[in-house]
Amino acid sequence: MKLTVQFVATAAVLVLASRGAHGADVKVIANPSVAMKAVSADDLKDIFLENKDLLGGAHVEPVLLKNGAAHEAFLSEYVGKSDAGLRAYYRSLIFTGKGAIPKDFGSDAEVVAYVAKTRGAIGYVRSTTDTAGVNVLAVK
Amino acid sequence: MSIAVLATLAFASASSAQDFTVFNRPVQVHGFASQGFAYTNHNNFLTMNTTNGSPAFTDGVLNVSTSITDKFRLSAQGYTRKVGQLDDFRPELDFAFGDYRFTTWLGVRAGRVKTAIGLYNDTQDAEFLYTWALLPQGVYPLDLRNAMIAHDGVDVYGRISLRQIGKLNYTAYAGKRTFDDRGGYYTFASDLGMPITAESGRAVGWDLRWSTPLKGLTLGSSWTDLTQDRKGVFTAAGFVPGAPYTGLSSPQRTAVGYGDFQRGRWDFSGEYRASDYWLNILVDLPGVPPFPWNGSNECWFLASTYQASKRISVGIYHSNLHVDAPWNPADTASNHIYDEVGAFRYDINRFWTAKAEGHLMDGYGDIFSTQGFYQRSNPDGFKPKTNMLVLRTSVTF
Repeated sequence: MKLTVQFVATAAVLVLASRGAHGADVKVIANPSVAMKAVSADDLKDIFLENKDLLGGAHVEPVLLKNGAAHEAFLSEYVGKSDAGLRAYYRSLIFTGKGAIPKDFGSDAEVVAYVAKTRGAIGYVRSTTDTAGVNVLAVK
Repeated sequence: MSIAVLATLAFASASSAQDFTVFNRPVQVHGFASQGFAYTNHNNFLTMNTTNGSPAFTDGVLNVSTSITDKFRLSAQGYTRKVGQLDDFRPELDFAFGDYRFTTWLGVRAGRVKTAIGLYNDTQDAEFLYTWALLPQGVYPLDLRNAMIAHDGVDVYGRISLRQIGKLNYTAYAGKRTFDDRGGYYTFASDLGMPITAESGRAVGWDLRWSTPLKGLTLGSSWTDLTQDRKGVFTAAGFVPGAPYTGLSSPQRTAVGYGDFQRGRWDFSGEYRASDYWLNILVDLPGVPPFPWNGSNECWFLASTYQASKRISVGIYHSNLHVDAPWNPADTASNHIYDEVGAFRYDINRFWTAKAEGHLMDGYGDIFSTQGFYQRSNPDGFKPKTNMLVLRTSVTF
């Protein structure tokens, strides 16, 4: 019985740790004009798929990384598309006039700098990135 | 035109898009160009000389868009193509409209707007979005692209949360149809001795797209109500040589159901359309009674694609077109076109794709209904089966 409890507890810790590690790969950041402390995963997906451009009454603009582990992790966990799939999606918006291709940057620092200075900007960076000057949003 | 394709390729390789600022507003410029080659063993297809192999299969787009305010966007796109004897690179305005989004669930577009019908109507030109070199022709006929590609009018659109049962994207539109006097319909009418000199009509309809609670599954439905009034003069090959005519159209209705399921590397899609049309032909000649030109057809496809690797995707589809009342019921090849297709796509880089595709086509559709097989390209008549190879490359920026 004791062994079973220990096994279940260990397994639970490993599962939670792996889930937490995946969720902690990236953090979502926003310009201080976005007066929200959290965003739902559903809203986050809609923002990056340009189905939604308001959050808490404020206009929001998605910002992406060009590539990298944080980029792949964010797309996989919150958008549900690969990089190629997302770029194809943005192109379908462009060539029907229904959207634009969001700005993308090659480094976390560039994303933070742009989000800090751009009203409504919302992006993502590695969880270890210095995010002074921007808000970090919890994803619920 | 191949020079234009190469030029676009060079430009695309240098940048992903052109972003700049005008009066402190962001402006984006994008475009694409594609070049194809088609070969058939029997029957020339889409007015190309495909039995000898034809490279007369080129199109391109230039797109400009800007945000005037957070809620208001302007977009415009020019399009040009040459497909066999169709269109001959004449540039046209693909769309140009203002888009004001009040909220997530309500927006308005006004101007020339691409028409939302089925899975791919408004994106059918952007062949780099798909594994296929040709979309299922029974549902998305390349030669009849302009029949429903856009309308001059107003769209109301939005996205509504249905809570636990997903989300619903809706579009409702009303306006005037756009016509292409060098496209498939005009070419076909000319071949029948009934060339069109003037045409007008309305377009009214809606599209509903349900993102279901099942991850990756989208289901949808569209409906259109079109009219197509026309004028012309019969030629020597026509019903009443030399006589002017007026064609007054009753609503041409098309009902559409579709679905798409994406999971992992797989994508499954399908679409069904049922259409009917009625044109009352009034001949401007005493003693000649009016006569109807009417018909109906059904078409559908089922498709599957697999992303084999980062650069390679493969796919198959079955396309099925059935003509309800062909002119000559004894000609069994005229009441249908079935198409079995296998496709291979290779992404050379993020901006440049190449495809190879095989078609096994059975039937050629009704002589009085444009279905890709034209009398002018097949003066000796049609063979019942057509095998076709299509190669296509495109660049986008």
